Amino acid sequence: MIPADIWGSTAIVGVGETDYVRGSDRHICDLILDASVEAIADAGLSPSDVNGVIPPPGYMSTEEIAANLGIPDVAYHVSVPMGGASPTASLQSATMAIACGVADTVLVCMGWNGYSALRPKADKPPSRRQMNTGPMGETVRNAYAPYGLMSAAQHYSLYLRRYVEMYNVPEEAAAAVAMACRNHAHLNDKALMRGRPLTLEDYRESPYIAEPLRKFDCCVETDCATAVVVTSLERARDLAHPAVVYLGGAEGHPSPADEIASRDNILELGIHRAAPRAFERAGVTPHDIDVLEIYDCFTYVVLLQLEALGYAEPGGAADFVADGNIELGGKHPMNTHGGLLSQGHCWGLNHVVEATRQIRGAAGKAQVENAELALVTGYGDFGDGSVAILGVDR
Amino acid sequence: MTTFLPTPEWLLLDWNHACIAADTLCIQRCGDCGQWRHPPRRLCPSCYSAQSSYQAVSGRGSVYSFVVSHRSRDLGWQEQVPYATLLVELEEGARVLAATSISPDRVSIGQQLNLRIAIRSDDFVLLWADDPS
Repeated sequence: MIPADIWGSTAIVGVGETDYVRGSDRHICDLILDASVEAIADAGLSPSDVNGVIPPPGYMSTEEIAANLGIPDVAYHVSVPMGGASPTASLQSATMAIACGVADTVLVCMGWNGYSALRPKADKPPSRRQMNTGPMGETVRNAYAPYGLMSAAQHYSLYLRRYVEMYNVPEEAAAAVAMACRNHAHLNDKALMRGRPLTLEDYRESPYIAEPLRKFDCCVETDCATAVVVTSLERARDLAHPAVVYLGGAEGHPSPADEIASRDNILELGIHRAAPRAFERAGVTPHDIDVLEIYDCFTYVVLLQLEALGYAEPGGAADFVADGNIELGGKHPMNTHGGLLSQGHCWGLNHVVEATRQIRGAAGKAQVENAELALVTGYGDFGDGSVAILGVDR
Repeated sequence: MTTFLPTPEWLLLDWNHACIAADTLCIQRCGDCGQWRHPPRRLCPSCYSAQSSYQAVSGRGSVYSFVVSHRSRDLGWQEQVPYATLLVELEEGARVLAATSISPDRVSIGQQLNLRIAIRSDDFVLLWADDPS
C-alpha cells in the first residue's frame, strides 16, 4: 500500500530544452540527448546521479539514452505511451518510483522530428525512428483512414464538431486561445512563432483543415526536445535551484480509449477522470492555481480541458477565455511560453518545463507575479489525459 | 487516384467477413444481454459475456457527429475535398463511421439516413450513405 503522502514528496530539479524549429540539422537522438544533458546539468547533477529513466514513447530507448549519457546503473525505467499525455503522466510514474525507493533520481525526456518526419530535406534521408502510436495505429489504419480520417485534426473533430454544435461554442473562444498563446510566444526567445502577430482577422481568414478546426486552431509541428529531472524533495533542497514540488498528479483514459466513436459520452475525455484525482492528491482547488499550462494541440481541446478542470460548466469555457483572462496580467494566465500552438510541439513536456520556470520565478518576461502553484495538463492519442500540479517548497 | 485500402486482422477482419458473407451491414451483438456493439470486442462491455455473433441490421440511423475535411494526406481523398465523414448512430444503438456522397454543406447532426455496404476487397467493406436527394 502506497501512503497518500507520496504526493508532495518529490520535486523537479532540472529542466532542459532545445530550440523549437521547422527542420533541425540535429539527429533526433542528439536532440533528446541535448535536452537531457541540459536538464541534468541544470539540476547540478551528473549522469551518475540518475538511476531512473522514462524515455519518449518511441524514437529512443532507455538503453540507448543511458548508454549515451553514461548513466551507469539504471534501477528503474518505464514507458508511458499515452501520446501527448505521456510526459505529464510520466511525472506520476517517476514520483511513485522515487517514493517507493525504487529509484532516487529520474530523467524524463521527450523529443521528436515532428516537422522533418513528414518533410525531410532533399539531401538528408528521414530518420527511420518513429513514435509508439499505441492503440492509435491499428484503429487509424483499419477503421479511420479508410474513411478519409488520417490526421489528429480529423480524428478529434469527430467530437469537437459535436461539442461546438451542442453548446454553440463561438469561434472567438478558440481564437482567444490561439491569440493568447501567440502573444506569449513573443516573450519567449525559443518560441517558433515569436514576432509573428496573430489577429482575430488573421484567425477568421485562415482556411479550415477539418471543421471546426482552422489552420490557426492547430499547433505548430516542430523538431525539438525537452527533459526534466525528478528527485526526492529532501534531496532537491540541496540542489542548484529552489525545489519545484510535484504536489500531485494523475492520469485518466476515456472509455473506451482505443477508439472514439463508441463512447457513451463522446465529450468525456481522460482529463475528466484525471482532474478530480489530481486536485485531491495535491490538496488544492482549481481557483488556487496561479499559472495554467494546458495541452494545446488544438484550441478547442483546450476549451474542453478547462471545463474538465472545473473552470467552467460544460460548453461554457468561452467566458473563461474571454477578456484577456488567460493572458499575462489576466486572472488565469495560460501557456505563458506560447504553448504547442506558438512555441512548439514537444508533447507537453515543454509545458512542464515552463511551469517549473514559473514556480522558480525564472520565467523572464513571461513571469507571472507571485506564482506559487502551476497546473499542467497532457492530452494524447484518442483523448488520454494527464495532470500535474507543481508548487513552491513551503 | 485510389484511396487507401486497409488490410484488417483479428476481430475487425471477422466483422468485415461477416458483412461480405451476408452481403449487408452486420453488427456484433452480445449473445447474452443482446447489446449491439461496434467496433467488435471480445467481451460485452455491459455484461462481460464472451458470447456474441454478427447479425444483420437495418442500416437506418442518424448523424451523431461528422467531420468536414478540407485537406488530406491521402491523395485519393485530397482530390475530393471538402468531403464529409459521418459518425452515424444506428437505430440499434451502435455507432459507425460512414463515407458519403452528400455534400458537406447539406449534412447536419440528427439527420436521418440509410447505410449500405460497399465491398472494396475480400477483407474490407466501406460503409456508405447515398445522397437521398
